[in-house]
Amino acid sequence: MTALGEFALWIALPISFWGMVMGFVGGKQGRGDLILSGERSVYLVFALLAIASLAITNAFLTDQFQYQYVAGYSNRNLDTYFKLSGLWAGQRGSLVFWAVLLAFFASVTVFQNRNKNREFMPYVVGVLQGILAFFLVVLLFAGVNPFEQLGFMPADGQGLNPQLQNYWMTIHPPVLYLGFTAYAIPFAFAMAALMNGRTDSRWIVVTRRWTLVSWFFLTNGIIFGMRWAYEELGWGGYWFWDPVENASLLPWLTATAFLHSIMIQENRGMLKVWNMSLVLLTFLLTIFATFLTRSGLIESVHSFAQNTSIAFIFLAFMGSIFVASVVLIVYRLPGLRSENQIHSFLSREAAFLFNNLVLLGAAFAVLWGTIFPLVSEAFTGQAISVGPPFFNRVNIPIGLILLALTGIGPVIAWRRATRRNLKRNFAIPLAMGAVVVGIFLALGARNGYALTTFGLSAFVLTVIATEFWKGTKARARIEGEGFGPALVHLVGRNRRRWGGYIVHVGTVLIFTAFAGRAFEVEVRKVMNPGETVTVASPFGHTYTLAYEGISSSVEENFDRWVALLSVQRNDQAVGSLTTERRFYRVNRQMVTEVGIRSTALEDLYVILADVEDFEGMVGNDPDAQRIVVQVMVNPLVGWIWYGGVILTIGSLIALWPSAEARRRSAALEPAMAGGS
Amino acid sequence: MKNGRFFVGLVGVALVVTYLVWTGISDTMVYYLTPTELMAKVEEDPSFRSVGVKVSGRVVPGTYEQGEGELVHLFQVQDIEHPEVTFSVIYQDVLPDTFTDETEVVLEGRFGEDDVFQAKTLLTKCGSRYEATPEDLAEKEIAE
Repeated sequence: MTALGEFALWIALPISFWGMVMGFVGGKQGRGDLILSGERSVYLVFALLAIASLAITNAFLTDQFQYQYVAGYSNRNLDTYFKLSGLWAGQRGSLVFWAVLLAFFASVTVFQNRNKNREFMPYVVGVLQGILAFFLVVLLFAGVNPFEQLGFMPADGQGLNPQLQNYWMTIHPPVLYLGFTAYAIPFAFAMAALMNGRTDSRWIVVTRRWTLVSWFFLTNGIIFGMRWAYEELGWGGYWFWDPVENASLLPWLTATAFLHSIMIQENRGMLKVWNMSLVLLTFLLTIFATFLTRSGLIESVHSFAQNTSIAFIFLAFMGSIFVASVVLIVYRLPGLRSENQIHSFLSREAAFLFNNLVLLGAAFAVLWGTIFPLVSEAFTGQAISVGPPFFNRVNIPIGLILLALTGIGPVIAWRRATRRNLKRNFAIPLAMGAVVVGIFLALGARNGYALTTFGLSAFVLTVIATEFWKGTKARARIEGEGFGPALVHLVGRNRRRWGGYIVHVGTVLIFTAFAGRAFEVEVRKVMNPGETVTVASPFGHTYTLAYEGISSSVEENFDRWVALLSVQRNDQAVGSLTTERRFYRVNRQMVTEVGIRSTALEDLYVILADVEDFEGMVGNDPDAQRIVVQVMVNPLVGWIWYGGVILTIGSLIALWPSAEARRRSAALEPAMAGGS
Repeated sequence: MKNGRFFVGLVGVALVVTYLVWTGISDTMVYYLTPTELMAKVEEDPSFRSVGVKVSGRVVPGTYEQGEGELVHLFQVQDIEHPEVTFSVIYQDVLPDTFTDETEVVLEGRFGEDDVFQAKTLLTKCGSRYEATPEDLAEKEIAE
């Protein structure tokens, strides 16, 4: 079974090359037979990659440690659940996983468009098969073949790094990869538009749902990663600006920009070159993130001994795509001319454009900070690094501008906003923002950034609530409906718009949660059983934690020490929590399992920082039960996860095709462009 | 309104971002050195001891010990390429889970007058690869 997997990769490679050539040649010559052959090759490559993926999963489930990849990420006693996720636990499997997801999306695209958008499809197939061929070449020739054998059979595998043995870590990579790979579809259509010369908005209309799907997965993938870091890394935060995190943020920033700027092209026929550039940039960044996250390139500034050949292969691939795309864009420049101009700074176009520039600015700052050590070493021979202080300093102001634009963009008028339009839409929200800032000032909050965030959040939420209110009220009056049905129908009539507003609400919650970090409280204490530690929440109450005792046990994969603490809130018992440390024997590694007590407003986060006696039977000797705990109160942190849920609901509303749109797409075929 | 004013806006955003990045880097950057480079810098210019730096190296196996007081960690760090270059480190905080007395670490702090590196932060460097090398596995086969 496993040997079959490698065989499948070897067959998939020539077929993907075949499909690429058939797509381009068939498109160029208008030969239906070649085009059809290219399209069918997509299904075949998907089937072969699916076989390869199943083969790897099978090797994990059956403990085939003669394969280096399996031995490196599994062991006999590993939970089946984690063995199932072995496919994406490391670089080699991830590359197969990436390819199979892309092949899947490519197959869906080919199927969806079997009777429409025919002028794009040959080139779309060519581009997608080209990307697949590249990944297959990497897999088979760059020293990362997941089917590589060790030449001996280890008694057991190395085990999966215990920090990866967490629910969120099993779903974070696949969700992120879904986002990365789905983005290849808009990219392929953009390139097809450049090749076949249909440079109007058709490629955007065809792929905007893909764009949204990709964005949806990217966003959730990033949030799941934050959740993992928060629960598993045990330092109370969820984002550390490390190169791997930054790499996943970069395509998100540019994809978010693209998501907004395509609306300008659809509505006003502007920004055509810009959108082409954004789709290219985002695609390149998804590739960059794919190889950076698993290559360890940036961390290893000083130990370049690692396998870096794969980095050069990826850079060469990105370089050729970049050059080819830029050449195509320049070649098609006459067709990409703007149909309109920006009339005023006070217009929706300008607000969206500003949003784009700011998002790109953020992406530039993050990219620059991430690769700065490499760049400075290359040019001065002296590695200089920047850490979280740099990223926070640059990105907090940028983030606040974006937050403000979230409120301004959706309601400011197209073309040119009048004074009346501005006053009508923004007077009340601005007042609300000011009131909220006033309240927090009165409560004693003095952090400027946090206050600004709270004020802007109130502003944005008021804008959105007003929009919903106005729309519902108008509909209720005109159609004579009750408010409930009116709201449902309102959203149903223009899912993209109202879904987008709901996404904005989720985003606002997440920003508010970020600002909450400014009020974090942390206490560390050495404790013997019976002793207590007190920590004051920024919301005014105090927690008193009493250390009840510690117990130890030997589990299948690890030894564990569990400390029990009872919790009082303002002298009232509210239950207890446990916080633990585990020693994974196969990996010889200690892991902290944080104790978290979540409420809507804050998390009580307890880390077992140290245990006096890891060796002995701690349960028996009261003198050896001394521990060190670190207690944190993390205000508003849960709002990230709530915001994520709201954002998911909003995205799904925006994605769901309305009955009307379904009818329209069935009736009006392919040449109709435009619409909103 | 014509494109001229529009370009002013574009350039404005670019300038603001550049300004933020530029000042951000110059205010927050730290030298990222190997132990060998750190020793050379200190030798050359003793005032370098007061400058915050980032150093990456490997914990010398067997040198880890707990110091007096809670969460005081003492160990030696060596240069990965020149293992003969070592220095002592004191770190007073919670160690990352991945810390063992043979891991690669990245320390941020100051090289004090007493030739002990006072680490403010300590990161371990197994990063995102989380991968065992064939050598590790071979070692395992012999061991078992």
